[in-house]
Amino acid sequence: MSSSLEQLENQLETFIENVRQIGILVSDFQPQGQQVLNQKLQNMITNMQDIDKLRSAVQDVLVPLEVFEYIDGGRNPQLYTKDCMEKALAKNEQVNGRIDSYKRFKAMLLVELSHVFPNEMTRYRAVREES
Amino acid sequence: MNDLSRKVDASFSPKSSPRGSRSPMANPLLTRNDSTGTLKMTISAGKHPAVVHSGPFYLMKDPASENELTGATNLMAHFNLEHSYNKFTGKKVRDSLSSFLPTLPGIIDTPAQLTNSSLRSLIEKPPITKEFTLLNHHQLAAFRLQPGPLPEQYRFMNQPPGQRKHKKHKKHKLKPGETPTQDGSADGSDIHEKKHKKKKNDDDKERRKKKKEKKKKKQKHSPEYPGASGVDPNRILV
Repeated sequence: MSSSLEQLENQLETFIENVRQIGILVSDFQPQGQQVLNQKLQNMITNMQDIDKLRSAVQDVLVPLEVFEYIDGGRNPQLYTKDCMEKALAKNEQVNGRIDSYKRFKAMLLVELSHVFPNEMTRYRAVREES
Repeated sequence: MNDLSRKVDASFSPKSSPRGSRSPMANPLLTRNDSTGTLKMTISAGKHPAVVHSGPFYLMKDPASENELTGATNLMAHFNLEHSYNKFTGKKVRDSLSSFLPTLPGIIDTPAQLTNSSLRSLIEKPPITKEFTLLNHHQLAAFRLQPGPLPEQYRFMNQPPGQRKHKKHKKHKLKPGETPTQDGSADGSDIHEKKHKKKKNDDDKERRKKKKEKKKKKQKHSPEYPGASGVDPNRILV
């Protein structure tokens, strides 16, 4: 059984194809085409009913609002995914670098503190080993 | 316990540390008889009061657990997104929306704000949702059309999907105002125009030839013409 998203995709494609056919029919309208046009208009409503029925099945699908800016601007929405992944990777590397820096800082601090407060640091190490 | 916390709140001043209740120096009401000057336990009041031994050092906390997911791990690999990342960054992603939806008919690369058909407007001003019902005969009468073609600017629907863009070898560049037909030419008069051009070229050639001949004749009769001076009459006759 196909997923609800695939069903929605198929329904949308059917709807678009029907509208495209109406567009062709209307662009050079012939008198005998009225019956066909009426049928296609009814099909369009049936298609919309089918799409509406699928609404509940895709309630849990979350779409980031930013992606609409790409689509509205006539841009490929895959660019949004690409930008997001690049940003996530850059942030991941940045945080990783920060964690590394803190680790190095901690090691240096422990060394320096051991020089200045040797007794306290011995106690500190003992407590840390316990926990 | 609650009384104590209320007391603390009452004496709280913005100048004191937000962790004032933890510090033995910050609040004089909570002074302890601590000979070493260090805090050995933390008493937390609230919903779940508890006494936590936090060690002999001031503000000492438990170290972060190692299995916690942080930026130290490669999150792209952790969530199995490396393939997707390589897919998007490896090859060039086409910029236009039509390359993402190649089967969608019509012109979709123009900004939606121009045609007032943006998705954002759907969220900002949601449409009034009514039940979809089939049209009756009375309503269908509103869609009775007059026979004849539409004006050219409304005929973009004729464009077959998937054939309108990214052609590597463009045979004919559309001029603004022209609409493509099924055979791909601008208006069907393409071949005719080519033939006409060829004919025009031929006419030009002929005219130039005639002109040349006329000039030659003129020169023959003129006194400056070397042949007319009688140097070699046989040659002229030949």
